[in-house]
Amino acid sequence: MPEGKFCNKTPITTEEQLKATLGDKGGKQYYEEMNHLDVDSEKLWGAIQKTMKSRTKTWLEICAHCGLCAESCFLYQVNGRVPEQVPSYKIQSTLGQMVKKKGKVDNEFMQMCMETAWSKCTCCNRCGMYCPHGIDMGVMFSYLRGLLYSQGFVPWELKIGAGMHRVYRAQMDVTMEDWVETCEWMAEETEEEWPGLEIPVDKEDADIMYTCNAREPKHYPEDIAEAAILFHVAGENWTVPSEGWEQTSLSMFAGDWECCKDNVVNVYSAIERLRPKRAIGTECGHAHRATVIEGPYWAGREDGQPPAPYIHYVEWLAEALRTGKLKIDPAKRIKEPVTLQDSCNYVRNQGLKDVTREIISYIVEPGYFVEMAPNKEHNYCCGGGGGFNGIGLYREQRNVALRKKKQQILDTGCKLVIAPCHNCWDAIRDLEEEYEIGIRWSFLKPLVIGMLDVPEHLLPKDE
Amino acid sequence: MFKKILLATSGAPSTFGAARVAFDMAKRYGAEVVVLNVMGVPTKAFSQVVNDVRTGEEVEVDDEYRSWVEEELKTTFEKQFETVEFSKLVLTTGVPHREILRCARDEDVDMIVMGASSGDSNVYRKGYPGSTLQRVAKAARCPVMTVHRETASYWGGFSNIVFATDFSKQAASAFKFSLNAAKELDSDLTILHALDISGKVLDQNEIEDRLIAARERIRGTYDLGDFKNCDIEVWEGVPYVEIVKMARERSADLIVMAHHIRELDPEKARIGSTMEQVILRAGCPVISVSKPDKV
Ligand code: SF4
Ligand code: SF4
Ligand code: SF4
Repeated sequence: MPEGKFCNKTPITTEEQLKATLGDKGGKQYYEEMNHLDVDSEKLWGAIQKTMKSRTKTWLEICAHCGLCAESCFLYQVNGRVPEQVPSYKIQSTLGQMVKKKGKVDNEFMQMCMETAWSKCTCCNRCGMYCPHGIDMGVMFSYLRGLLYSQGFVPWELKIGAGMHRVYRAQMDVTMEDWVETCEWMAEETEEEWPGLEIPVDKEDADIMYTCNAREPKHYPEDIAEAAILFHVAGENWTVPSEGWEQTSLSMFAGDWECCKDNVVNVYSAIERLRPKRAIGTECGHAHRATVIEGPYWAGREDGQPPAPYIHYVEWLAEALRTGKLKIDPAKRIKEPVTLQDSCNYVRNQGLKDVTREIISYIVEPGYFVEMAPNKEHNYCCGGGGGFNGIGLYREQRNVALRKKKQQILDTGCKLVIAPCHNCWDAIRDLEEEYEIGIRWSFLKPLVIGMLDVPEHLLPKDE
Repeated sequence: MFKKILLATSGAPSTFGAARVAFDMAKRYGAEVVVLNVMGVPTKAFSQVVNDVRTGEEVEVDDEYRSWVEEELKTTFEKQFETVEFSKLVLTTGVPHREILRCARDEDVDMIVMGASSGDSNVYRKGYPGSTLQRVAKAARCPVMTVHRETASYWGGFSNIVFATDFSKQAASAFKFSLNAAKELDSDLTILHALDISGKVLDQNEIEDRLIAARERIRGTYDLGDFKNCDIEVWEGVPYVEIVKMARERSADLIVMAHHIRELDPEKARIGSTMEQVILRAGCPVISVSKPDKV
């Protein structure tokens, strides 16, 4: 059958298409159309031949089917350890078959692949650490997602997510005007309590260019205000770009490679335009992966680096606390058992494990920090990574996936979880809603603001 | 001073009192009413699924749901809509306090009116802790009126205003607002300072001295100009109790207070918040003023 109205091989590129697709309640028509969507085998095989790197090929070939990766995958663990959840099985039965059949696969197969790629793997890359050959399913599933996307087999929400990025260059309908307006608003709202506080837009040659996640201007602008407060107290010379401020990439989770590149180039152009000494991203984990870890490759940058040093928020925060730019009032440190969610996207993917613990050492009274087990680069995914959190079709599977984190948190005995990554934060919130284990969770910014030792001259005068 | 009023409502009966006052004020003073309904809190930042503010159910916000909510609101407030000249319905999704503040800013309103429990339902998602009211009152640039559902003494119009001061910076704005309102509405004004002696052991003489000092401070701080219908009172006790008692004694139909809790965590802020206690216990609408704008 020809392609459907909503479910098709063409990305969403106009606001009109976007709204129409959004209007399809729960993707009902979309998924119905998917049942009749043809696979363009020629194109699929062409894409595989053109884009499949030798690493992926080798991985598919050398897998010894030893199953050593099985236990490493939290989805295997929480799903009754069924063979269908063994990482090597998941990839061999999908991408492996697709390659073996030279792209000659049918609709049913593609739908099975879609379900596997988005509901049986969160691209958390944990298995890669345990395979004796270093075979990383997270990487291969990202690749598979790209192939599926190009054939129109992608969950409804992620088709929309990628479309948002294409239309607004943000994961939500936040225009450049909305963004700048939100910065002004937050500055106004905050300057009274923090005299002299500013959110400078498009300042050239600043020390720091700050970028964030579109959910902040859209629903939680406090996050921007909180970043501003901390930069202000730390005495930083900083700015935000009017264009190129959105760092996240749902297109990465959707497998829309072209769009990934477009977004990250947009952010990099802002760096080139404003020439900051360095860029700092918000607490979001996948945003960091998209702009700092994978982004340079999408953008075709040979040195594999963004145009200026680009660090994650936890790196800046640790530095500010270490150098005394921000001081913590010891009396206000956390004095209850507290644990930390290590985000795969910047801990496993970039090794930022010690820096987060350094932050903990400043803000938690000694003796109160409880590690999850396992932790650091061995930590499990929150349960909602790789777009899993947002896909209605797989909500039940996602809820099952949350059980691993639930158990890890319960085992710490902590009621407070520090979850710097936005997506982990969402997953942990959902976890509490679904299982009601009586926990609280927080980003770093509000916690730190609450315990700052603020220099006299930065406080409002007349109170 | 009341040209454009924002009524934040979930459409639930607990906000009917607020609606009654908002529409009545609009009718009396020829103001425009913007009715805002925050339909739900997004479950995922980029998804269309929200938790319905009233039921806590997950619903998908599409055109159908939107028009259903719109119809509901129009039916609920049908009579009131007819009484005011301009009105406008704004439907949105998001975190309630944020969307109320956003709308107030976009529409440049002179006052926000909300029910004491508007957007504060028990199903309100955890993790955005605390009271919508606290957060709105803290950040709004215009006065914020809260109407508890049991509000009894409001029969239309304001004829007795009690302004409770704690001499904070924000109280100066609250005073200005009270005085202007009293003048414009031709009502009586009582300036009250409730001397907080809770948890303190003071002897009677000391209390007397402080009461006298507070009176003088009121006279020295608040310039009434040629406004005559004003009383100054200083009572000792637990502030919210004294404010509520005074309001009852004067048959006040409006209490004005300053809001200046600096606590970031609204859960902590609400404990010991005089304003919150007054709102819950007073029989009349309560206005909180935090910023010098729009007074
Ligand atoms: S990447 Fe993570 S979720 Fe995917 S198979 Fe490996 S361990 Fe499992
Ligand atoms: S551990 Fe590695 S080699 Fe063994 S089955 Fe898993 S992916 Fe294949
Ligand atoms: S949301 Fe957090 S824990 Fe989950 S996969 Fe992403 S980074 Fe990892």
